[in-house]
Amino acid sequence: MKTRALVSLAALLGLAGCATTPKPPVDPNAPPPAVPSTAALEQQPAQPPARPEAVPATPLRQPRPMELVVLERPDTPIVSFRLVFHTGSVDDPKGKEGLTDLTSTLMAEGGTQKLTSAQLLDALYPMAAQLSAYTDKEFTTFSGRVHKDFLPRFMDIFTDVLLNPRLDAAELERLRANAISDVENGLRSANDEALGKVALDALLYQGHPYAHYVGGTVQGLKAITLDDVKAHARRVFTQDRLVIGLAGPVDDALKQALTSRLSALPAQGAPRVELPPVPTTAGRALIVQKPTLSTAISLGYVTPVRRGDPDFYPLAFAFSHLGEHRQFLGVLFNELREKRGLNYGNYAYAENFIEDPGSTYNRTNIARTQQLHSLWIRPVVPANGVFATRGAVFFLDKLVKEGIPQERFDLMKGYLQGYTRLWEQTDQRRLGYAIDSLFYGTPNFLEEYRQALSKMTPRSVQEALRRHVHPDALNFAFVTQDAEGLAQALRSGAPSPITYASPKEQALLEQDKDISTFKLPVRPDAIQVVPAQTVMEK
Amino acid sequence: MRRLLTLLLLLLGTALPAAAQSGPSASFPYTLKTDRLPNGLTVVRVPYPSQGIIAYLTVVRVGSRNEVEPGKTGFAHFFEHMMFKGTKKNPEGARERIMGTFGFDDNAFTADDVTVYYSYGPAAGLPQLIEIEADRFQNLEYAEPSFQTEALAVLGEYHKNAAAPFLKMEEELNAAAFTRHTYRHTTMGFYEDIKAMPQAYEYSKTFFERWYTPDNTMLFIVGDFDDAKVMQLVRENYGPWNRKAATVKVPAEPPQSSPRTAHIDWPQPTQPRMVLAWRTPAASVDTMDAALQTVLVDYLTGPTSPAYKSLVLDKQLVERIGSDFSEHRDPHLFTLTATLKDERHRDTVRLALLKEVSNLAAGRVDAARVKAIQDHARYGTLMSLQTPRDVGIQLAWYAGILGTPDGLQRHLQNLTKVTPGQLQEFTKRYLTANRLIVLSLTPKTAGAGGTK
Repeated sequence: MKTRALVSLAALLGLAGCATTPKPPVDPNAPPPAVPSTAALEQQPAQPPARPEAVPATPLRQPRPMELVVLERPDTPIVSFRLVFHTGSVDDPKGKEGLTDLTSTLMAEGGTQKLTSAQLLDALYPMAAQLSAYTDKEFTTFSGRVHKDFLPRFMDIFTDVLLNPRLDAAELERLRANAISDVENGLRSANDEALGKVALDALLYQGHPYAHYVGGTVQGLKAITLDDVKAHARRVFTQDRLVIGLAGPVDDALKQALTSRLSALPAQGAPRVELPPVPTTAGRALIVQKPTLSTAISLGYVTPVRRGDPDFYPLAFAFSHLGEHRQFLGVLFNELREKRGLNYGNYAYAENFIEDPGSTYNRTNIARTQQLHSLWIRPVVPANGVFATRGAVFFLDKLVKEGIPQERFDLMKGYLQGYTRLWEQTDQRRLGYAIDSLFYGTPNFLEEYRQALSKMTPRSVQEALRRHVHPDALNFAFVTQDAEGLAQALRSGAPSPITYASPKEQALLEQDKDISTFKLPVRPDAIQVVPAQTVMEK
Repeated sequence: MRRLLTLLLLLLGTALPAAAQSGPSASFPYTLKTDRLPNGLTVVRVPYPSQGIIAYLTVVRVGSRNEVEPGKTGFAHFFEHMMFKGTKKNPEGARERIMGTFGFDDNAFTADDVTVYYSYGPAAGLPQLIEIEADRFQNLEYAEPSFQTEALAVLGEYHKNAAAPFLKMEEELNAAAFTRHTYRHTTMGFYEDIKAMPQAYEYSKTFFERWYTPDNTMLFIVGDFDDAKVMQLVRENYGPWNRKAATVKVPAEPPQSSPRTAHIDWPQPTQPRMVLAWRTPAASVDTMDAALQTVLVDYLTGPTSPAYKSLVLDKQLVERIGSDFSEHRDPHLFTLTATLKDERHRDTVRLALLKEVSNLAAGRVDAARVKAIQDHARYGTLMSLQTPRDVGIQLAWYAGILGTPDGLQRHLQNLTKVTPGQLQEFTKRYLTANRLIVLSLTPKTAGAGGTK
């Protein structure tokens, strides 16, 4: 049986909003927002307020142009620079998706007016200095680290990357080819888990500037010219979008020198993109078809709650309890992996999450105006795809309905009092948090979180959950080989029983019955199958 | 080779005083305080100004190298998972509750030669941590159903890794390079063996008895804490641990006398890839071999190498070049890797990389680049040690491979001693045509009925 294509591929996975589009494109095929909740989810005595029809784009706060954040620490010889620009893939013009990321990469790697790319590498290498750019939806970060032995030389190079980038044609071609390969060979082919997450973003933010992959679309990348890059650099890497972070053995002379040099950046450039509201769709499923041994699953919905909202802390706490990223403590990890052996891990997120390499912590400076709640189910054998999905939603639903028992609540409080300290152990991460705080209006964010933890109660957390967490609003992204089979299973709503090769306790088997018949909030008419090779094509 | 190494280490062990201290150096500005308990457990403390945060690492000198029985590949890694399953005193779930109370980041990894366990979090939890760690290393106990369920998580890990070509490439390269030695299989193990893991409950207990012994284990505790108190707790809790490591013979690999090739047709879109590999000597405290290979990686493929400039930047024939070299207890592989942009450039790229190797063998060595690589290593190490966990993992890795608690410091010292002449000599001796193994990977193409 074939799946009806409800939403055009182009609309779903390609045509994102863009810098010059203040309103979302009207899509006559878009499903209606806010689907009624399922019977299984209607057992609360007092229903929380209905979900809004859309998540508005309440702007983040605007720090002063070139606001300086300094974390002096004389006990290290390493100086850290962190320049965070309020620009990201939302600033990519329509048809040039990937421009912001490609521009920042070309600046960081492509050399300066004085140094070719090879000479830049030669200069940085003996210092073991680090210089890199990272672009996300709304922010781009240039970070640098160097031993103080080489500070003056590194400062020249680092600031030249911003002020006098070489931007030459050969390097553009090299990095463009890499970026296209990253979509065609990396995302679509070699990383099902990343593909599932990108598909979920495309699904949740359809028609919004967040929808396209930060690294770009194949056709968007191909359309970019050197002139586009040169113009874009001057439009978005401007003083009014910049926060300057400095840490380590920093003195007044360094602060002064850095600020003074960066004041040669254009004072301002492009007007800020006006982000459209995101309709709070629910129950949609996108199945990416490709040859693979397993099924990767991501689910989520957009939420108006972000840092700065008093409810953010209890929600962050509850999602940690449900599934702190790559930790052994979460409910999903224990229920789905430890007890049932379904896969390698299962996690839950109260905001945009991108793993900081070499750690299990979230990156800093990837703030979003319009956030999401999401669950990540690592690859499962295809036969267990529906069961694992039901399991994740089942435990989310249980969390909202039943809250967190006192003993577990106390454990999680202690856990996060300690674990959150690990999030701020390096200068780059401390700077990152301090800079995020300027945009969210949350000074001393982690310290405030810890204080908030000490005041939370199971009841206050459950109230926040009931206000803002909506299992019935989930949307689903899958990556699997037998996409039609999965679509059929989802459409039918038939039970998905599971069998085990090893003995299980009776209580678990009883719970499995509830899970295997749990009604997933998937709308049979909103399931779409797309081949992997079309994802992020344009 | 392996027996010789063991013998040397034994000698070294008995020669070492019961307590030692080694001071800071230019690239490693920390002091190691080392004690050896009567049962053979080595305990290293590293004061680190981390404001109440500590890292606690246990390195066991066991890895996929120790998997000598047929059908039992992947067991060291699987066993690492089982180490989180509890004891009589702290049954399954108790660990999470104790560690959770303090907020420790608690995890582990397994490689060919070592298994490293780490907990990273508040120093306030150290007493409980020492107790629960000592308990599991001595008294691990798990039921068969729990073992069987965990085997499925390992299968899930294999599936997660299988989407990208790297795992398959490692499998094929190892199969081409090793006919007898256990390095023939990857740390994940053969897929068939992973699927059969649930049936190996009894073997898992043997594995624990064999390798999880105090004389095969080292502890590293990095951060802010009261040294005397910590040592007292360590002695109390680990003192009763009294097993001895087994002596299982890892088969020696016969010499390679002619070049070898291996090929993979990858069924999905990806870049064409190439690996040039040579069997090279083990890492050892008594030779410069590990330091030489570390320098060679950057000399031949680093961002300032002629090959990088030519192939990556100027001609743009490859997306990247590099090496998968890592230190091993037994002779393993030195590799050069290339991710190609086009199948047509395969020969050009291979010849260009081999040309760099032959230049080196012929004595055309750029001494200034060797010096720059040494500077990079020194500053790079300083830059990489940002947290107690960073320090602990590096210490544990080199200690585990080299079999001595100051392995990292010795390795860093050796890096400063590398000379152009030694690089030439090593290249001439080991990176030869007869010892070469070429692995190629070609993606499915549209012409062959593929997706792209």
